[in-house]
Amino acid sequence: MMRDSFADYHPFNNFLYFTLVIGFSLVLSHPLAQVIALICACAYAISIDGKKSVLFLLKYCLPMVLLTAFINPAFNHEGTTILLYFSNGNPLTLESILYGFSAGAMLITLLLWFSSFNRVMTSDKFIYLFGKIIPALSLVLSMSLRFVPKFKSQMATVTEAQRSIGRDVSSGSLWQRTKTAILIFSIMITWALENAIETADSMKSRGYGLKGRTAFSIYRFDVRDKYTLIWFGFCGLFLLSGTLLSAFGFRYFPNVRYAALDMTTIPFYCVYFALCITPVVLNLKEERKWKTLVSKM
Amino acid sequence: MKRIISLVLTLILLLSFTACSGNFAQVDLKEPIALTEDGIIEKSVFDKIKNENAIATFTGESGDFKYEWTVFGSDLVDTRDVNLSLALEKTDKGIKIKFSEAEDFGFPALLSIHLNEKWTANSATAFDEETAVYSVSVTGSKTSILNISVNKIVAECEILPDDTKQEENTSSTESNKDTTPSNNQTNKTDDYLSDVKESDDRIYSDGKNKEKDKYETDPVPEGKPMPVEPEDQEVNKKKSYTCTFSIECSTILNNLKDLDPDKRELVPSNGVILAPTKVTFYEGESVFDVLQRVCKEKGIHLESSWTPIYNSAYIEGIHNLYEFDCGELSGWTYCVDGWYPNYGCSRYQLKDGEKVEWRYTCDLGKDVGCDWMG
Repeated sequence: MMRDSFADYHPFNNFLYFTLVIGFSLVLSHPLAQVIALICACAYAISIDGKKSVLFLLKYCLPMVLLTAFINPAFNHEGTTILLYFSNGNPLTLESILYGFSAGAMLITLLLWFSSFNRVMTSDKFIYLFGKIIPALSLVLSMSLRFVPKFKSQMATVTEAQRSIGRDVSSGSLWQRTKTAILIFSIMITWALENAIETADSMKSRGYGLKGRTAFSIYRFDVRDKYTLIWFGFCGLFLLSGTLLSAFGFRYFPNVRYAALDMTTIPFYCVYFALCITPVVLNLKEERKWKTLVSKM
Repeated sequence: MKRIISLVLTLILLLSFTACSGNFAQVDLKEPIALTEDGIIEKSVFDKIKNENAIATFTGESGDFKYEWTVFGSDLVDTRDVNLSLALEKTDKGIKIKFSEAEDFGFPALLSIHLNEKWTANSATAFDEETAVYSVSVTGSKTSILNISVNKIVAECEILPDDTKQEENTSSTESNKDTTPSNNQTNKTDDYLSDVKESDDRIYSDGKNKEKDKYETDPVPEGKPMPVEPEDQEVNKKKSYTCTFSIECSTILNNLKDLDPDKRELVPSNGVILAPTKVTFYEGESVFDVLQRVCKEKGIHLESSWTPIYNSAYIEGIHNLYEFDCGELSGWTYCVDGWYPNYGCSRYQLKDGEKVEWRYTCDLGKDVGCDWMG
């Protein structure tokens, strides 16, 4: 686990990076592109969360890929390579298995990208980027993103308070415990609704979303941000043209056909890899810099 | 400064796009090519079709008729200048074709003749004097289209619609050699099956019922077999009969522009996936049972799904050609001895000697001679 220095970059760069990688992971179905995205998404998740994300990968992601690879051929029988027949007479085809693997890989790649997105794009960054353009929506988004952790901590407080006046969810008969749990839940709902209205009112009374209102922010668009922005912009345009020229072309049905890997298409894959791995490289660079600084002292 | 940069960027982008999609030859194969008066298509055009592995169409006119050639790049081996023009003439019963080209093309090509009228027959045969030379499939919704896979050229021939009653004798004849043995076979089975007609326990519709049945089936026309429920049927493997099965998709060749581009290479150049084949079946088997077995034996891909409200299997795709692959109204239909049953193929119990045709439609059945759907 290391410090995520990419998160310290300007929010616009963070957001642009995630829109690019998530967008391309969704669009590109070439297995090589998918493997590149998957490796980079894993690497970034591990560099942010360390051991926790390795566990998550092994426990949930691996079974998920295998599950989709098994489930897809059970419902999808398209494809020219027939391996064997099911009992209802429909064929099991190689193409549908391959497609299942590809869909599973895409699913966990997106899961990993979004989990990193959640860690990097905190609600203050989100409000900073979109508070001016779409104030109502960004407030609602950040409130709902904050809702679950806030609800959890408030629930702990309420349960504690209820226990101290004799309404304990962990003791008593089943009927009693259910009654207490329902009571606590009702308290929580009331609190959540009231809290939402209060937040909205308080934001309004401070003039949120009004014209000419400035907001404090700690973000500065400095030189490194300029360079990363240029880099992301170049990658985005380059890969977009590659997609339009079908350098990543791949089809599963009715038979597997793909764009050949040659001197004209390999550069696109290299750029795609470079784009996806950027934050990990930045983190490693920062780590090394930190270590050299430490050793000098 | 900013303006200049953005201008330069857009220029570069535009240039790269035009460079990559630039087409340097004069002929665009995606559009139909109109034949000139002499009808000669040069070798270079065929070479281009071959190199791009494209499917090209050539259109021409003769008298009141329009015709169309479809040439598959995958079929081309040796190429040369070919004269594709025809002279078409209406006769009492059919159409007379005169080819301008004297020698064989050297590759199979599909000829589609657009008529001004609707033929009721599903198929037709082209005769040179008394000899059957081509078998013709009839498609088209309002007016008929005659599709012929031309391999060998004859100077002149006449297309006559097959009489549905005599179909067994005339259809599926590509040359005289084929007809004789199959005629013998039918005679033999007829002798041996003299007792089978008694064992035909199918119930035929009297045409009096006006209600839908419990599986949403409209009344069956008079004289046609009533549907049977697959769960009631017992297959008796001791009694075996034969019937003829064929699978074809020539309507796709008339509607290539609607076809899913990924599926293009699957379409056979003459539209025939399974030529009429004699198959053995057992007493109590339905069209679906036999189709499934035939496809398995021949290695043809088939996907079906069970539809409880119609109590029958639904054929989603054969040979990886699926419903909706060639327009919104496309899918698989079946007809038995020229009639399209108005119930699912799991509910049609086969009788000895019946001729089952699976045909792909691009217009809800209208283009293959089935008019009860919509």
